Amino acid sequence: MALFAVFQTSFLLALLSLRAYQSEVLVEPLPLTPESLNVSIDSAHQYLNLQWSVHSLAYYQELKMLFQIQISRMKTSNVIWVGNYSTVVKRDPVLHWSWKSELPLECATHFVRMRSRVDDAKIPEPRFWSNWSSWKEADAQKSLGRDPLFLFPKDKLVEEGSNVTICYMSRNQQDNISCYLEGQQIHGEQLDSNVSAFKLNKVSFIRKTGTNIFCKVDQKDVIKGIVLFVSKVLEEPKDFSCETQDFKTLTCTWDPGTDTSLPKRSSQSYTLFESFSGKKILCEHKNSCNWQVDSDSQEMYNFTLVAENALGNRSVSVLFSLTHRVHPKTPYNLFLKNVSGTKATVTWKVHPIGNYSTLLCQLDLLGEGNVIQQHNVSIKENGEYLLSELEPDTEYMARVRCADANHFWKWSGSISQKFITAEAAPSEALDVWRNVKSVSGRPTVTLFWKPLSKLHANGKILSYNVTVENLDRPSGLEVHSVPATANGTELTLDQDSYQIHVTALNSAGPSPASVIVVSGDPGNEEVEEERVNGTEDGFSVSWKPQSGKAIGYVVEWCDHPQDLPCDLQWKNLSSNTTSTVISSGAFRPGVRYNFRIYEISTERMAYLLEKKAGYLKELAPSDNPQVVVSNLTSHSFTLSWKDYSTDSQLGFIQGYYVYLRSKAEKECHPGFKKATLPDKSACCQHRIDNPEQKTFVMENLQPESVYEFLVTPYTSAGSGPLDAFTKVTTPDEYSHILIRIILPMIVCVLLIMITCYLKSQWMKEKCYPDIPDPYKSNVLSLIKSKENPHLTIMNVSDCVPDAIEVIHKPEGSKIQFLGASKSLTETEFTKPAYLYLLPAEKNYSGPGPCICFENLTYNEAAADSGSCGHFPVTPEALPGQPGPLTSPENLLKALEKNYMNSLGETAAGEASLNYVSQLASQMSGDKDSLPANPPEPVLCSEYKMQMAIPLGLASPPPAENSGLSSTTPLDQSEHYR
Amino acid sequence: MRVPGKLWSVLGVVPLLLVLHWKHGAGSPLPITPVNATCATRHPCHSNLMNQIRNQLLQLNSSANALFILYYTAQGEPFPNNLDKLCSPNVTDFPPFHANGTEKARLVELYRIIAYLGASLGNITRDQKVLNPNALSLHSKLNATADVMRGLLSNVLCRLCSKYHVAHVDVAYGPDTSGKDVFQKKKLGCQLLGKYKQVIAMVAQAF
Repeated sequence: MALFAVFQTSFLLALLSLRAYQSEVLVEPLPLTPESLNVSIDSAHQYLNLQWSVHSLAYYQELKMLFQIQISRMKTSNVIWVGNYSTVVKRDPVLHWSWKSELPLECATHFVRMRSRVDDAKIPEPRFWSNWSSWKEADAQKSLGRDPLFLFPKDKLVEEGSNVTICYMSRNQQDNISCYLEGQQIHGEQLDSNVSAFKLNKVSFIRKTGTNIFCKVDQKDVIKGIVLFVSKVLEEPKDFSCETQDFKTLTCTWDPGTDTSLPKRSSQSYTLFESFSGKKILCEHKNSCNWQVDSDSQEMYNFTLVAENALGNRSVSVLFSLTHRVHPKTPYNLFLKNVSGTKATVTWKVHPIGNYSTLLCQLDLLGEGNVIQQHNVSIKENGEYLLSELEPDTEYMARVRCADANHFWKWSGSISQKFITAEAAPSEALDVWRNVKSVSGRPTVTLFWKPLSKLHANGKILSYNVTVENLDRPSGLEVHSVPATANGTELTLDQDSYQIHVTALNSAGPSPASVIVVSGDPGNEEVEEERVNGTEDGFSVSWKPQSGKAIGYVVEWCDHPQDLPCDLQWKNLSSNTTSTVISSGAFRPGVRYNFRIYEISTERMAYLLEKKAGYLKELAPSDNPQVVVSNLTSHSFTLSWKDYSTDSQLGFIQGYYVYLRSKAEKECHPGFKKATLPDKSACCQHRIDNPEQKTFVMENLQPESVYEFLVTPYTSAGSGPLDAFTKVTTPDEYSHILIRIILPMIVCVLLIMITCYLKSQWMKEKCYPDIPDPYKSNVLSLIKSKENPHLTIMNVSDCVPDAIEVIHKPEGSKIQFLGASKSLTETEFTKPAYLYLLPAEKNYSGPGPCICFENLTYNEAAADSGSCGHFPVTPEALPGQPGPLTSPENLLKALEKNYMNSLGETAAGEASLNYVSQLASQMSGDKDSLPANPPEPVLCSEYKMQMAIPLGLASPPPAENSGLSSTTPLDQSEHYR
Repeated sequence: MRVPGKLWSVLGVVPLLLVLHWKHGAGSPLPITPVNATCATRHPCHSNLMNQIRNQLLQLNSSANALFILYYTAQGEPFPNNLDKLCSPNVTDFPPFHANGTEKARLVELYRIIAYLGASLGNITRDQKVLNPNALSLHSKLNATADVMRGLLSNVLCRLCSKYHVAHVDVAYGPDTSGKDVFQKKKLGCQLLGKYKQVIAMVAQAF
C-alpha cells in the first residue's frame, strides 16, 4: 500500500512536472510581441521603412510568424492600410519591411503599429495575436524648412499609364493656392487644412524632358513646382533568339522595343541568364548579346533575357539545342567560269562548321531581278555548279546562300555575282512589212521591220542587210546595209517583181532571212471600205479569204493616222485566221483608224483584201462646217458646205442638222420640226441623213426678214456645237427688178461720160469748137436757104496780103508784154504772133482780093459793122487783161477787149503793124449793129476786122494750129469777092 | 578656341570644394592679393587690353537677353509667363559691383563677377544638357557665353597683374545645383541668367 502510494505520488509529480513544462511552452508566444519598432522615410522612393525585432525565441531556432501592420495618416485613428507580413523569424532577428505610399510622405504624418502571431505548424492551435505595439510616427514635414509652399513628389518617375498622386503643403491656411499641369489647372482633394492632394490617373507620356507641375499662391510671388517624368512602358523583348556560326559563340538577338530612357535615367538594361550553367552576363548592347560556348560542348541551353529599368523589368526565355541553331557564315569567293552563250560554271567557298557538318547551299540564277533557276548543292567547303539553258547576251546574277544540311535553322547571308553570257546569232527572222507607193512614176518600196526582242537578238544588232533580187530579170543581187538604229529603209524599184531578204546582224552572225516579194503593180486598191466597231479591247477585224492559198494575212494600220509619218503598224496572222482583235495603247477615242487586210500569197506577195475604218469610240463633232450662203432671194437662199470633209471627223458623219430660226416666223417650214436649243430658245430643225449632201436650199422665206441658220453634223455620239448661228436677211421682192434697170443705166451713163472725157477734144471740135467752122455753121444754111446761093465763105488762101509794113517796133513793148504774161513761151514771142496767122508769102505777087472775115458765130458785132477795117492788134494791149488768159472764156474776153481797145486806140496811131490788103470785099450784114465810130481804113476802102491772136495766148497745139489754120484756108468757091 | 566642357565641369565641382573647405568663404569674397605679391603672367598682355575688355563686355551684354529668353523658353511653363516669380534676379550671394570705384577696384569686382558667372554657367550648361538635351541653340549660346567669359577673365587678370600687380583675387561661387530637384535647377538657372542680364548691362556701361 505504501509502495502504491509512493508510486502514485511519483506519477502525480511527474505528471505535474510534465504539465508544468507544457504550460510553459504554450504560453511562450505571448512575449513575441514586436519590439523596437522603428519607422523611417525614404523620400526618393516614397517608402516607409519599418524595422523591428522579436525576442525570446527561446526554444526554437526559427519560427514562422505573421505580422499584422496598421498604417494611419494624419492621426492614429485614421487607418489607411492594414496588411499582414509573414516571415520566418530566427533567433534575435531584426526584421525589415517597407510600405510604398501613394501620397508623398512629406505631405502627411504617418503612424505605424504592428502585432504578431506564431504561424508555424510546430506550435499547435490555438494561436493568439500579440498585443499591438505602440504607434510610431513618421513625419517628414519637420525637416522641410519655412517655405510658404511645398510641392511633392519631386522628380517623380512613373511609367506611362500609371497613377500618380501629387500633394502640396502650405504653411498658411489662408492662402489660396492653384495648381497647373501643362497649362491646365488641376483640382485635388483637401486632406488637411493646409494639405491637398491631386491624383493623376493613367498619366501619358508627353516628352522626355518631363512635365512641369506648379502651384502658385494667389496674390503672392510664390510659385513652387516639380517635374514629373513619365517614361514609356518597358516592353518585353521581342523575337528573342540565339544562334551560332562556329559553335564557339552564341549570339542572342532581340528587338528591344521602345526606349525608356529619360533625363537622369538611363535606358533599360539587358541581362542574359542561362539556367543550366547558372551563368549570367550583362549585355553591352540593347539588342544583342554574345555568349561564349563552353568547350565541354553543352548541348542544351535555356536562356532568360531580362530587360530592366528603374521602374521594373520584363523577361523572356528560350530553350534550344545548340546544333539546331546553326547559322552559317556567308559564302565567299563566288566566281563564274567558262561563260558561253548558254552555259556558265559557278564556284564558291564556305566557312566549315565542325568536322562532320554538311552545308546545303542554294544557288539562284536571277535574270532581271527574278529567280530563273534554283539549285540545291550539298558541300563541305567548296561548291561548284554548271548553269545551263542560259540565253545569249543576257545579264544574269548568280546568288548563293547556305544552311546547315542536318538541322535547318537559317540561311546564311547571300553572296552574288553578275555575269553576261556571250552573244549568239539572232535566233529569229525579222518581222518585215512593206509599203509600196509610186514616186515620179517609179514604184518605191518602203520596208519596215520590228526590232528583234532581246530574247531573239542574242546580242547587239550591228546592222541590217537588205538583199533585193529581181524575179523577172535575174541580174544578180543588190545588197543594202542599213544601220542598226533604223527600223526600215526605202527602195526604188521598177515594175518588175522583186524578192527582198532582210536579215539582222550581230557579232555572232546573221539572223534567219525574212523574205517578202513586192511588185511594181500595186494591185487592186479599189476595195470598198467597210466600217468596224471599236471596243475597249480594240478593233475586232475580220475578213473573208479570197484565194484559199494564202500562207498568212497581215493587218496594217497607223497608230497615229493624223500625223506624218503615221507610225505604221502591222500584225501577222496565220493562214487559218480570219479575224483578229487589233489593240494598241495609242488608240484614242475620236480618231478614225483605217485597217487594211492583206493576203500573203505563197509567193510571199501581199494582196489587198479588205479595208476597214472605225473609231475606238465615236465622239460628237467638235466643229461645224463653214457654210456659204448663195442664191439669196426674197424667198430663199442656198446653204453650201462642200469643203467639209466627212473623213477626218471625230466619228462617222451620219448627216447634218440644219437649224433655222426667225423672229418673224413662229411656225416651222415643211421639212423642219421644232427643236429647243441648249439656251432654251426654240428653233426649227431639219435633218439631212445623207452625209454627202452638202447643200440645202432654204425656201418659203419671208422677204425683208432676218433668218438665223446653223448647219451642224452629227455622228452616233451626237451633233456638233449649237452656238454660232449665221444671220441672213432676205431682200424685198422688187429690189432685184430695180437692180436690173438701174444698174445698166448707171453703166451706160458711166460709159458715155468716160467716152466723152476720152474724146473731149473731138467732141469739142465737133460740138463747140473755139473757132467754129463756117461751113458747118447753121447761119450758112440759113443764108443759103434765104435765096442767096452765091454767098460763100472765103478761103483764107485766097486772102493774100500785099505786104507787111512795119511801122514802129518799140523794144519796150516786147518786154512789157513778156513781163505781163509769164506763162507764155518767150521764144514764141521773138516773132510777132500774127506772122503765123497771115500767109505772108514773099513770092506772092498776084493781086488778091481783100479778105474780110465774117464770123457771125462769135463776132457778130464786128461782122455787122458793115465796114471792113484794119485794126492791128499789138501786144501792148494785152497787159491790160486781168488774169491769165488760159481758158477759152478768158481768151475770148481778152480778144473782145482787145478788139474794143483797138477800136478806140488804134485811131490814136499807136499801132505798130498794119495789115494792108489790096482787096476789098463786099459789105454785108446788118448795119444797125455797127459801132458808132468805126475806124477809117487807110488804104482799103472796105476792110473787115481781122484779128491777130498771139500764139502764146491761144496756145494752140501743133495739131490745133492746123485746126486754127483750117479756119483761115477757105474754100475758094465760097469766099466773098 | 573652344575649351572642352571638362573645365566647366571642374568649375561645377569647385563650389562644392569651397563649401567643404572654406565654409565662410562661399558667400563672401576674400580679400585681394596684397600689392607686393609676386605677379607673373604666362603671356604678355595685349597692348589694348582695356578695349578688349570693353568689347567683350559689350559682346556679353548684347547677347545676354537672347540667352535669357532662350533659357526660360526651353524650360516650358510656368517660366515664360512668370518671369517675375521664377526668374527674378534676387541672387543673394552675387558679388557686388561699384561703378564709381577706381579702375582697379572695378576690375577686381569684375573678376569676381565673371568668375561667379562662369561657374554658374557651367552648372547651368551641365544641367541643361541633361534636362533639355534637344535644346541645341541654348547649349550653343551657353557655350559661346562661357567662351567669352573665359577670355574676359583672362584679360581682366592680365590687366590686374600688369598694371596693378594683382596676382590673385579670391572669388566666390554660387550654390551648386547638382543636388537640387529639376524644377529648382531650372529656377536657379533662370534667376542666375536674369541676374547676369542685369549685371552685365551695368558693368558694360561702367567700363
